Amino acid sequence: MDTAQFPWLTTIILFPFLAAFAIPFIPDREGKTIRWYALTVGLIDFALIIYAFVTQYDIHSSGMQLVESYTWVPALDLKWSVGVDGLSMPLVMLTGFITTLAILASWPVTLKPRLFYFLMLAMYAGQIGVFAVQDMLLFFLMWELELLPVYLLLSIWGGKRRLYAATKFILYTAGGSLFILVAALAMAFYGDTVTFDMRSLMAKDFPINLQLLLYGGFLIAYAVKLPIFPLHTWLPDAHGEATAPVHMLLAGILLKMGGYAIIRMNVEMLPEAHARFAPILVIFGVVNIIYAALTSFAQRNLKRKIAYSSISHMGFVLIGLASFTNLGLSGAVLQMVSHGLIGASLFFLVGATYDRTHTLILSEMGGVGKKMPKIFAMFTTCSMASLALPGMSGFVAELMVFVGFATSDAYSFSFKLIILALMAVGVILTPIYLLSMLREIFYGPENQELTSHEVLVDAEPREVFIIACLLIPIIGFGFYPKLLTQIYDAKTVQLTEQLRAESFLVAETVEPPLALVGRAPKIGE
Amino acid sequence: MESVEAIYQYAWLIPTLPLMGAMVVGLGLISYNDATNRLRKPTAAFIVTLLGAAMALSFALLYSQVQGHEAYHYLFEWVSVGDFHLSMGYVIDPITALMLVIVTTVAFLVMVYTDGYMAHDPGYVRFYAYLSLFSSSMLGLVVSPNLLQVYVFWELVGMCSYLLIGFWYDRKPAADACQKAFVTNRVGDFGLLLGMIGLFWATGTFEFELMGDRLSQLVELGMIPGALAALFAILVFMGPVAKSAQFPLHVWLPDAMEGPTPISALIHAATMVAAGVFLIARMYPVFEDIPTAMSVIAWTGAITAFLGASIAITQNDIKKGLAFSTMSQLGYMVMAMGVGAYSAGLFHLMTHAYFKAMLFLGSGSVIHGMEEVVGHDPALAQDMRLMGGLRKYMPITAITFLVGTLAISGLPPFAGFWSKDEILGSVFAVNPALWAIGWLTAGITSFYMFRMYFSTFEGEFRGTDKGIQKQLKHEQFQRMGMSLGPGAMSTQELALEEETDHGHHAEKPHESALSMTLPLIALAIPSLLIGLVGTPFANYFEAFIHPPGEVVTVAELAEAFELSEFVRMAGLSVAISVVGIIVAVLMYRTRQISASAIAAKIPFFYQLSLNKWYIDDLYEVLFVQGSRNIAKQVLEIDTRIVDGVVNLAGFVTLITGEGLKYFETGRAQFYALIIFGAVIGLVVASGIT
Repeated sequence: MDTAQFPWLTTIILFPFLAAFAIPFIPDREGKTIRWYALTVGLIDFALIIYAFVTQYDIHSSGMQLVESYTWVPALDLKWSVGVDGLSMPLVMLTGFITTLAILASWPVTLKPRLFYFLMLAMYAGQIGVFAVQDMLLFFLMWELELLPVYLLLSIWGGKRRLYAATKFILYTAGGSLFILVAALAMAFYGDTVTFDMRSLMAKDFPINLQLLLYGGFLIAYAVKLPIFPLHTWLPDAHGEATAPVHMLLAGILLKMGGYAIIRMNVEMLPEAHARFAPILVIFGVVNIIYAALTSFAQRNLKRKIAYSSISHMGFVLIGLASFTNLGLSGAVLQMVSHGLIGASLFFLVGATYDRTHTLILSEMGGVGKKMPKIFAMFTTCSMASLALPGMSGFVAELMVFVGFATSDAYSFSFKLIILALMAVGVILTPIYLLSMLREIFYGPENQELTSHEVLVDAEPREVFIIACLLIPIIGFGFYPKLLTQIYDAKTVQLTEQLRAESFLVAETVEPPLALVGRAPKIGE
Repeated sequence: MESVEAIYQYAWLIPTLPLMGAMVVGLGLISYNDATNRLRKPTAAFIVTLLGAAMALSFALLYSQVQGHEAYHYLFEWVSVGDFHLSMGYVIDPITALMLVIVTTVAFLVMVYTDGYMAHDPGYVRFYAYLSLFSSSMLGLVVSPNLLQVYVFWELVGMCSYLLIGFWYDRKPAADACQKAFVTNRVGDFGLLLGMIGLFWATGTFEFELMGDRLSQLVELGMIPGALAALFAILVFMGPVAKSAQFPLHVWLPDAMEGPTPISALIHAATMVAAGVFLIARMYPVFEDIPTAMSVIAWTGAITAFLGASIAITQNDIKKGLAFSTMSQLGYMVMAMGVGAYSAGLFHLMTHAYFKAMLFLGSGSVIHGMEEVVGHDPALAQDMRLMGGLRKYMPITAITFLVGTLAISGLPPFAGFWSKDEILGSVFAVNPALWAIGWLTAGITSFYMFRMYFSTFEGEFRGTDKGIQKQLKHEQFQRMGMSLGPGAMSTQELALEEETDHGHHAEKPHESALSMTLPLIALAIPSLLIGLVGTPFANYFEAFIHPPGEVVTVAELAEAFELSEFVRMAGLSVAISVVGIIVAVLMYRTRQISASAIAAKIPFFYQLSLNKWYIDDLYEVLFVQGSRNIAKQVLEIDTRIVDGVVNLAGFVTLITGEGLKYFETGRAQFYALIIFGAVIGLVVASGIT
C-alpha cells in the first residue's frame, strides 16, 4: 500500500471514536481492563499522529498537507475534508499528547469507568477533528461534537456544583457556537457558489462591512472558548468543578480551540476586518492579562485560581496574533502549545493535591510540603514555568509576543508603549499569585487541623511520570525554541506576509528607527 | 597555541558542569529519594569536584586573558522566525574571565564550608543540588554575550535565590522572605524587560556595544528623542536596582537572610547581588552617553550606600547587620559606575566579594557555635546581645572576622582600602557632594563593623544569660504578633513557655569544624592582599579591566598618579574610618560612652534606623495591602457584575431564586440539549435531503 495515499488524518480522527464503541463489550468489573484499553488506544493514536507527521509532513511548506477530501453531501458541497498545516499540526500533536496523558491521569476514577473512558476517547476524536477539518460545516459539527462529552464529563464526575457549572458551560459554548453556524452559513451562501470549503471561502471576496459582521460573529463564539473578558465567567465555574483529567483537557486543549479558530477564520479568512479589529483584540488581551491576574490573586479556591491564571495567559495569544509580525504570531502559536502543556501540568497537580488534602480552600491547607516533597517540587517547577521563567517554554512565547508587538509597525508608538507597560505589569502580577499560592499550600509549619484527618502521602510513580512527560517538552522548548518554531515557521511567515499584503496598514504610524538603522547601519560615517 | 584555543572552545563547560551536577542529583532526589539522601558525602564530593573543574578552567581563561588573548565569541541561533533571529552563546573577555574566577572561587569555598555548616540538616543533599544550580546560572550570566541572555540567567539566579531563601520552608519567616525577594526582583525585571525591548525596538539588537553605538547615533541624528533613550536606560537600570538591593527596591535583601548562611555569603553578598553591578558594566556602552541615566545611577548608589550604613548601626541580628552593610557597599559600586569609574566599581566588586563572603561565613561559624549554647533558634543564635567574648572560644573565626572588618573599614593595606579609595577619588573628581556622602558613609561603616566585631568577639560571653534570652524571645513575639495580628499571639505565648522549660545546651561555644574554618582562612588571603593588584601607582587591575574601547596600560596609569592628591584623599578616608573605629571602641569595647544613653537622647533617629526608615512598613501598607484590596475588588466585580450581566438578569434569577429547583431537576439542561441537538439535526438533515 502506498503510504502517501493512506488516509492518515481520517484514521487518526476516527480510530479513537470507533475504538470507544468497543468499550461496552469488554468484560470488566472494576474498570481496570478498560483503563488499560483506553490508554492503549490513546497511545496508538498518538503514535499514528507522530508517524504520519514525521513521514508525510514537509515542514518547509506552508500549504495544507495530508489533505483528504470525500464528498459527503453533494447538494450542499459538504465534504469530509481534512488537512493540516503549520497552524493545526502542532495542536494536533498537543491534543494526542495531552489526551493520552489525561487518560493516564484518570487512574483514580472509579465511578462509571465505561462511560468515562468512552467519553474520553470520543473527546480525543472530536478535538483532533476540530483542528484538522477544512470544511466550515464540518468544523461546526466537530466543535459541537466535542461539547457533549465535556458536558457529560462535567455533570457526572464534577464537584459539588457540577450541574450549575456544566449547564453554564453548555449554554455559553453552545450559545457562542450558534454565531459560528450563522457566520458560516452566511459565508457559504454569499456570492455565486455555495461552498463550505475553507480554501474556497478564502478565495471569496467579501465586502468590508460583511467581513466586519462575520468577524464579530466568529469573535463572540471564540471569545467564549478562549476565553476573552467579559465572556470568561463560565471557565472558573467549569474548571472549579471538573476532575483532574477533564481539567487537563479543558485547559490544555479546549482553550486552544478558541485561539486556533481565531487565527484560522478571523485572521486568515477575513484579513481586512482583522486589520480593523486588531487594536480591539490587543486591548482585550491586556485586559485579560491584568484583570484575570488580579482575580486569580484574590481567589481562595485553588482550582479557580489556576483557572483565572489560564485566562491571564491567553491574553498573550490575543496580543500576539494582533501584532502583524511574524514574531508575534509565532509567539501566539507557541504560547498556545506552551500553555497547553503548562496548564495541563498545573491542573493535574492541583488534582493530585486535592486527592490528598480533600480541600481546595487555600486557608485549609498549609505546610503540606513536609509530607509531600515530590509534589511540592513538581508544583514549584510547574508554577515557575507558568510565571514564564526563562528556560521554560512560557518565557519564550511571552518574549516573542513582547518583542513582536514592540517591533510591530501597525500601531502608533504611544499605543505600543502603554500596552507594553501594562503587559509588563502582568509580569509582576503572575508571580504574586502563583508564589503566594505555593506559600499557602506548602510553606510554613504543618497545618495540624489538616493532618489530623487526612493522610498526606507523597506522589506515586505514575504521577511523577505524567509530570515528567509534560516537563520534558516545556523545558526542551524553553532551552531551544527552534525545536518547535521550525515546524510551523513556514506557515506563520506566509500568513503574516499575506496579512501585511492584504490588510490596510495604518500608514501614519511612526517608522521604527530599527528599520532605518537596519537599512543603513553605517549612518554618520 | 592550539591548546590555548581549546580552553576557549570548551569554555561552555564552565556553566554546564555544575548544571549537570544539579540535574543528576535532582533526578536522584525525585526518583530515588531515600537512596540519594543517604549518599551525602558522595553527592557533596561529586558536586564540589564539578565546580572545582569549572574553577580550574576559569583560572586558565583568566590567565590567558591577562596574557592579552583577544576576546572569544561563540554564538548559535536560538530563535529563528522568518527573517528574525536571536542568538545565544558565550563570550570570554577580561571582565567575564574575572567574574568567572570570582564566582567559581567563592562558590567552591562556600560548598566546602556547607559540608560543615549543613552537616546535621536533613536537606543536605537538596542544598548541594540548589547550590550547584545557582552556580550554573550565575556562571551562565557572566558569560552572556547579549542583554537577552543576561535576562534569561538573571531570572534563573533569581529563582535559585527564591528556592534557597525558602530552603527551610517550614519556617514562616523564610516562606515570606522568599516570596518577597522574588516579587521585588520581578518589579525590577519589569523595568529591565521594558527597557530591553525598548532598546531592541530602537536599535534592533541585543548586543551591548552595537546597542550603545546605534543608540547614540540615533540620538545624534535626532531619530529618537534623548529623553526616550534616557527612559530606556533608566528602565534597564531598574533591574540592577532590584537585584543589587538599591533604594527603593532594597527591602528584600535583609529578609533574605532567612536562608542558610552559606547562601547569604554566596548569593546575597558575593555573587548574585553583584550581578546588578556587572550588568551596569555590560550596559556601559549604552549608559555612558546618557548623562541623565548616569546621574540617576550615581545618586541611587550614593543614597543606598548611606541608607544601608545608617540602618546597619542599630541592627542586633548579626546577619541583618551584614546584609545592610552589603547593601551599602553595593551602593558604592553603583555610585562608582554612575560617575564613570568603571574599573573602580568592578574592583570594589571583586574585593567586596571576597571579604564580605568571608564575613558572612564567619557569622555562620559564630551562629553555629551559638546554636550549641542557645539552641536552633535564629532569634537567639543570631542576636549579638547574646554573644560577646567569642574570641576565646573561636580564635580562627575571630581573627578572620577581624581581617574582614579591617578590609571593609578601608584601612591600608587591606583590600577594601584600595578599591574604596579609588571609588571615592573618582567620585570627588566628578561631584564633591556625592563624595561627601560616600566619605561620611565610610566612617559609619567602620563604626558599625567594629561595633559588630566588639559585641561578638570581645568582652564577656552573655550567651547563658537567661534574662536576655527571655527578653529577646519577647521582642520576637511582639514583632510576629504585629505582623500576624492579635489572634496569633496566644499560640506563640505557649511556645515561649515551652522554650524556657528545656534548656539543656552546652555552656560554651566551640570553634567550628575544619571544613568551615578552612574556607575562612582561604578567603582571608585575598581580603588582605588582593587590593595590591589595583594600587594607584601600579594599577594592573585597571589595565586589565577597562571600559570597552578605552585602552590603558599600567605605565600610563602610573604616570597619571599624583602622590600628593592620593595622600590627601586617602588620608581623609582613613581619618574618618579611624574616627569611626575610635567611637566604636569607646562605646562597645571600653564602654566609656553608653550606647543606650545616646539612643535615648535622639529617639527619633534611633527609631528611624532601628525600623529601617519605616520603608518596609510603608510598602506593606501601600503595595501589599493595596494590591490585595484591588484584587479583592476586582474579584467582587467579576463575580457580581461581569458574571451577572453576562449571565443575563433572567438567567441569574433563574439560578438563584425559584428557578434553582427547576434546574436541579435537570429539565433545563434537557431542554437546552434538545434545542441544541435540533440545530445540529436540522443542519445535517437539510444537507442529506
